[in-house]
Amino acid sequence: MKSPLVPSGNRSAIARNLATLALLLLTTFDLRAQETTTPPVADDKQLIQMLLQRIDHLEASEKQLQASEKQLQDRVRLLEKGQPAAGTAAAPDSPAADQAAHAQESETVEAENMDVSKTLMNIRGFGDFGLYGGDQKAQHTSFGLGELNLFITSDISERFKFLTELVFEVHQDNDFEEDLERILLEYDFNDYFKLSGGRFDTEIGYYNTAFHHTTWFQTTTDRPYLFQYEDEGGILPVHSVGLSATGLIPSGKVGLHYVAQVSNGRASSSPNVEPVQNLVDENNHKAVNVALFARPDAVPGLQVGFSTYRDVLYPLNSSRIGETIMDAYAVLNRPNLEWLNEAVLIRHALASPSHIYETPGFYSQISERFGSFRPYLRYQYVNASRYEPVFPGVGLRAGPSVGIRYDVNESVALKLQYDHSELRQQPGVNTLALQAGFTF
Amino acid sequence: MRPLEVLPAVFLLVLVLEISPDRAHGSEELESAVRGSPQQSLAIVVNRSNPVDNLPFNELRKIFMGERGHWQNGRRIAVLMMEHGSPERETVLREIYAMTEARYTDHFLRGLFAEDVSIVPKTLDSPARVRKFIVQAPGAIGYLRASDADESVKVLRIDGHLPSDKDYRLQIDANSEN
Repeated sequence: MKSPLVPSGNRSAIARNLATLALLLLTTFDLRAQETTTPPVADDKQLIQMLLQRIDHLEASEKQLQASEKQLQDRVRLLEKGQPAAGTAAAPDSPAADQAAHAQESETVEAENMDVSKTLMNIRGFGDFGLYGGDQKAQHTSFGLGELNLFITSDISERFKFLTELVFEVHQDNDFEEDLERILLEYDFNDYFKLSGGRFDTEIGYYNTAFHHTTWFQTTTDRPYLFQYEDEGGILPVHSVGLSATGLIPSGKVGLHYVAQVSNGRASSSPNVEPVQNLVDENNHKAVNVALFARPDAVPGLQVGFSTYRDVLYPLNSSRIGETIMDAYAVLNRPNLEWLNEAVLIRHALASPSHIYETPGFYSQISERFGSFRPYLRYQYVNASRYEPVFPGVGLRAGPSVGIRYDVNESVALKLQYDHSELRQQPGVNTLALQAGFTF
Repeated sequence: MRPLEVLPAVFLLVLVLEISPDRAHGSEELESAVRGSPQQSLAIVVNRSNPVDNLPFNELRKIFMGERGHWQNGRRIAVLMMEHGSPERETVLREIYAMTEARYTDHFLRGLFAEDVSIVPKTLDSPARVRKFIVQAPGAIGYLRASDADESVKVLRIDGHLPSDKDYRLQIDANSEN
């Protein structure tokens, strides 16, 4: 019976091969018959030898054809049972299958040629290594490994996207630790509303979400003190677990964007617990963060914005603390010029005894690129009360950083940086850092 | 004066210097580009079902920069770039992105990392592939030499101008044809 599922191209190929085989076999039998009736001479012997070789060859071909025929019959049987056959191509004469084949072909080609990302999983890596020294008490000049960041994205479907930052880092005790610094599932409704859930970098101001966990995109060797990570003594809740909504606000040439985030907030029961509440929240109160920023068409590279973060902390040996963090910034990012300015006010309102602690801080960083070189200057300032209930050890830190970044090529950069920090009622601290950053 | 008081004033001063006309749009790299007499226009092409007929240049730039992920009808945008070194790509890098190849790569890598770009362009190696992709993908936008744009795709007006118009701004540089 003629099966409609057998590819017509394969049917005609089998018929052609079988006809050729039959013709050759008939020719062979005819020649063998002649051999028995004619007396053998020297030339005939050579001819017979050739014909015998040809017969051997034909017999081998016949075996191959039989094997192919058997494979095809097996595939037909599988197809008739409705099971997919491995390696079976869609019939090219079907328009739908043809279209699907074209789509698959073009998708493969496009995936291979995509500029940065692929439609499936894409991994980029960032890392750094350096030599660090300073005159602070008990500080030794040391070679130091920075963070090794594997940034993984995947376009799961047209609207769903997965993103994660898997970071391997070394702490002061020299032990390695791996952290999922970001892990997000994002749903892209449209340009005005994107919703993501998971662990994200809290959209407090600019720096935290512009550079995330790599020194590669930073001009400097380190983050401003204000935006240090929580597990390195940072004073802001730079990571959160929860939901985040972002999008454009219809505003024409003003280019307004919004961010709204709801999360577990930071842990506060004890300074020794993991500061990011990844699985269990200490309380039912959720932290809320709202940010607005503008990228006006009139000034390319300019971004100005502000954010407000609100949470309630419940320390074990203290009364409830209302936490409000306000941030305002203006940054200018041009191909050659970078100028970042950001100010933060952290307000902790103690319920009993009623008292408000305000910690102001800011940084300003400017750099200009000259070919492969980018010299930079940064000044930073944080001033916390010595009685601050959440980060009592911070106090005053203020001072300049000067340095230069040299881009060896598109994937390797060297940085040299000098920092001076004034501390409250302590001698100033000077540090020097030489760092090699790379992406792969 | 305290640093906090000085900063806003200095910032405004630099801003004023930076928005002077010859420096706008990252023109440092534009200035260095050698410009020759235009040989042929570059057509911006979309799927024929796309309801858009005209794009202001600013919107076109935002789309190519990855700052827009969707058309107004909700279709997801796919930006197509041609191969490295092609005159068409060099024209787009110069006129739309105002970037070098290295800056372009950095822009999308940085944008992807900071979740700042909605889409990353796909690279196709020939005008035929660009046409084929656009025919198959209703949300795609790409570019072709005007003579390569046939009936299978829709040519957009940019700031109200078609590639055949005198004031059309996307011209392939004669020097990049070599």
